[in-house]
Amino acid sequence: MSDPFTDIPDDGGSDVALAGELALGLLEGEALDEALELFNADPIFAALVAEWRLQLSVYDEEVVEARARPAVKAALEARLFGDERVPVWRRLWPWQLATGAAALAAVWFALAPVPPVTEPDAAAPVYVAELSAQDDSLRLVAAYDPAEDAIVIRRTEGQAQAGRALQLWGIAPDSLPVSIGVLPDDPDARFAVPADLADRVAGLTLAVSDEPPGGSPTGQPTGAVLAAAPLEGI
Amino acid sequence: MTDLERIEAMISRVALGDRAAFSDLYDATSAKLLGVCLRVLKDRSLAEDAMQDAYVKIWSHAGRYTSGVASPMTWLITIARNTAIDRARMRKPADNLADHDATLTATGPTPEQSTVAASLARRVTQCLAELQTDRAAAIRLAYLEGLSYADLAERFEVPLNTIRTWLRRGLMTLRACVER
Repeated sequence: MSDPFTDIPDDGGSDVALAGELALGLLEGEALDEALELFNADPIFAALVAEWRLQLSVYDEEVVEARARPAVKAALEARLFGDERVPVWRRLWPWQLATGAAALAAVWFALAPVPPVTEPDAAAPVYVAELSAQDDSLRLVAAYDPAEDAIVIRRTEGQAQAGRALQLWGIAPDSLPVSIGVLPDDPDARFAVPADLADRVAGLTLAVSDEPPGGSPTGQPTGAVLAAAPLEGI
Repeated sequence: MTDLERIEAMISRVALGDRAAFSDLYDATSAKLLGVCLRVLKDRSLAEDAMQDAYVKIWSHAGRYTSGVASPMTWLITIARNTAIDRARMRKPADNLADHDATLTATGPTPEQSTVAASLARRVTQCLAELQTDRAAAIRLAYLEGLSYADLAERFEVPLNTIRTWLRRGLMTLRACVER
């Protein structure tokens, strides 16, 4: 790069000095506007500004670090990401108080892949439901996993009667039940959300019915509905 | 990975909208950036406000940071400094913030090797020491405390024109010395 400024005149309006003044933030008004115009039009001038910035950064070592109050970070994140950015686990807390540790463990299982790779997206809605039979002989917790568009179930109490099966249904408002799947023997299960229920998770009611092995032959519940509960956003 | 490389990696993740990386970047750099703002604004609560504004810009402009063009810390500090100075001079954001931000994309030297940056820093420090005391002091105050020409004229008790002449000559002498 040819440097027209090695031969320094008495202050003849040198671009070197102007670039330094811009980097220092000394320019105001018209002088600032002109310098910015030059900056945008002339890559050599722009490079000068960047060089000044780098050279002046030797002073940065003098800066004494200072800790901001924790509220500053909270306010910043609220400002950038909105108030909905409440961590999943904080949202789960009141829910856990109402439902107990087993339910929390189930939702953890639903939302945190093992090994946990990333924290569940804090902005995504979390839907959970706890289904229990009137006599508590059957209890399940369910959660919707938005990352996989799946419904995750953990059976915490009870099982299918001998020679029978438990089938999970999703019932959207004003709609017939849609089969989500037959619960396996394993207490934990994960089901893809059926196409008929796509985008209808909010407001969905889950239900478990008593069915023949392999599930209802008709596509609709044929046996007793043992437990039902709406998926609720938390 | 050096600290600077880690910070650079965080900035590139922030550019992709990674909130966790943003949180990490804040944790790693906010003490320095608050120090920069505090030096200019002298008031803790004003400095915290300015720092918050700076991080909002960092979040939205991270994609404009070009790796290798400047030290990532220099880039972050420049944003914090400009923001604090604008606040100190009570400029309306619409006036200048956007323009200042534009200057952040400038491509300059590429000190990706820390040895280059370190030797440049040594050179600059040496040259500042060779500069006339008043001129060096004026440059230092303009940089660290964000003083305007009017502030500097008052501080050094000289007319505005004189201070500008000092400072510009100081800059040109410094430049000639660094290139020598």
